[in-house]
Amino acid sequence: MGEMKLFFGPNHPGLHGNFSVHMYVEGDTVIRARPVPGFLHRGFEKLMERRLWYQNLALIPRICVQEPDINEACYAMAIEKIAKVDVPERAQWIRMIVLELARIANHMWAFGGVGGPTGMYTSMYWSVSDRDKVLDLFEELSGARIYHMYIIPGGVRKDFPPHFEEKLVKLLDYIEGRLPEYETFVLKNRILHTRLRGIATIDTETCLKIGVTGIGLRATGVPYDIRKIAPYLFYDRVEFDVPTATEGDALARISLKPQEIRQSIRIIRQALEYMPSGPVNTKIADGNGLRIRVPKGMAYAKVESTRGEYGYLVVSDGEEKPYRVAVRGASYPQGLYGVEHLMPGTRIDDVPIWLDTMGVCAPEIDR
Amino acid sequence: MTVLKVAGIFLTAFFFGLTFEGIGRKITARVQRRYGPRWYQNFIDLFKTLSKHGYTHGWIFDFGVIMALGGIIASLGFVPVGGIVAFPGMDNFFVIVYLFTIGSLGMAMGMVGTGNPWASIGVARALTLMLGYEVPYMISIGSMLYFYRTSSISAIMSAQGGDWNLFKFPIGALVALISLQGMLGKEPFEAPIAPAEIASGPMVELSAKYMGLLMLMNTFMEFAEISLFVDLFLGGGTYFVFLLKYLVVWVLVVLISSVLPRFRIEQAVYFYWTVPIILAFVQVFMTVNGFVF
Repeated sequence: MGEMKLFFGPNHPGLHGNFSVHMYVEGDTVIRARPVPGFLHRGFEKLMERRLWYQNLALIPRICVQEPDINEACYAMAIEKIAKVDVPERAQWIRMIVLELARIANHMWAFGGVGGPTGMYTSMYWSVSDRDKVLDLFEELSGARIYHMYIIPGGVRKDFPPHFEEKLVKLLDYIEGRLPEYETFVLKNRILHTRLRGIATIDTETCLKIGVTGIGLRATGVPYDIRKIAPYLFYDRVEFDVPTATEGDALARISLKPQEIRQSIRIIRQALEYMPSGPVNTKIADGNGLRIRVPKGMAYAKVESTRGEYGYLVVSDGEEKPYRVAVRGASYPQGLYGVEHLMPGTRIDDVPIWLDTMGVCAPEIDR
Repeated sequence: MTVLKVAGIFLTAFFFGLTFEGIGRKITARVQRRYGPRWYQNFIDLFKTLSKHGYTHGWIFDFGVIMALGGIIASLGFVPVGGIVAFPGMDNFFVIVYLFTIGSLGMAMGMVGTGNPWASIGVARALTLMLGYEVPYMISIGSMLYFYRTSSISAIMSAQGGDWNLFKFPIGALVALISLQGMLGKEPFEAPIAPAEIASGPMVELSAKYMGLLMLMNTFMEFAEISLFVDLFLGGGTYFVFLLKYLVVWVLVVLISSVLPRFRIEQAVYFYWTVPIILAFVQVFMTVNGFVF
């Protein structure tokens, strides 16, 4: 049987339109695959060198559309490390709540979203609908639904609005109540099991070799979570578990998502309990208004995103703009090396499942 | 008179086919916690696409689209719809199945003519799936034809009276319903279309009026297939009773499809050739040995 080249994206319903995989297939099986990024390349890292420290806050959330808050957190934490600034305690707790809320929103999206590549669109629409409830809260908190620009160097932009905490608790109760229905609908579906089991399998050794972290690594049995390994904010003050699985396949990765949502809810409840009152931001450095000058230095800050380790290396030469900012996208390893080395052998039918459950996020590859 | 009857069948298929599709979209939307489009959205889509200039992919493509629509229109004319029988004495099950094949082959030819590999994969899947569902379906219906000693749809309808074949041949009806899900290309048998996998397969290169013509073909095909089920298992009925039964079957199909993911193509064929085919043989065994309720 002859080899044929197929384009999986950018114009393909199985992809978001900003990434492409050139597949060389024999029959139904991919024998070679070449990732083609660059459709969303806007030169984020270079642009940051031309903008003021604070101006970059409007730019960085766009590096990962589906989970923008992690960018704000990494950027702010790296600057604070360089400036050696202590962020107010309340701001730290609020940051944790925001990051965990964003985590819930993204996990909900991805968990139900597995219905997209497998044709079970109902779970996809359900999860989008429930994710919207989280976005409603974000809108109330920050004025924006997706790109919040809420976490800033020195703390957060403003304190919780009135009655926000009650609404948050209500939302957490609602999501907790919905999870069993999702699990029944998605995880107990026998057809879905046959579609996901044994598909896009990755082992621990390969994960470590190419740099896959997060749920991809945890699905192979390694309890690697930045929040536990190298706690930031106040993750060392709260109790939570790191769910793991051993199969390393698409089903294992999807099965971990509702468990992780439960842990995030647990973390937020504790944060609400422990959070003191007080200021929510502090001055980061000298300068007029937004034109601050961050002291000379270099720092790397990392957080646990829904797809793994997400980090910012920030270099300052003491000027009003960063000297260099480098972003470590969480899905960079699986999106580039993974597609090339792990996708061959996959059936055409399973390619969208592969890309979806591996959590490939094109903007953070392009950045 | 025959011309009027044929026109009546086509107008019924056109108006109620599109209307029920619209209702189906609304029901699916409500299951998915959406508002969904208006019930007449399919009419708007159809007229809009038919009124636009489309791009051809050569004469094989043009001919395939016309052949697909023509084949389905021809088969629809033979299906008794709500008491309207356009060709009395000729509404034979095998004639309808034969003409159906022309429509499917026309679509296959036209879509492969586009030269797009996704379309070819979709067509290959559609034909493979057809092999899957046709075998249990034909075995199941065959046992019923054997029981009635006729393949005339009208004769089977009138033989049922108030005693539907759904209750006389429950296992056969179940097999036909499962097969119907595949014929309509609904989940879990959506592999030939599978947007996320093969970019909607046969439809990938369709634009404007070509899309409109195949939307119309799809509506007519759905109408003919569900009408056959209503005639064979639910006793057909007078015009409005028939439409009511049709709507019930359609809603059932839509509800099933809205809560299930899709099989891979080989899983779908494997399923058809295991569960429904065993059930179909059970129905045959029961029919041949006189176990008809």
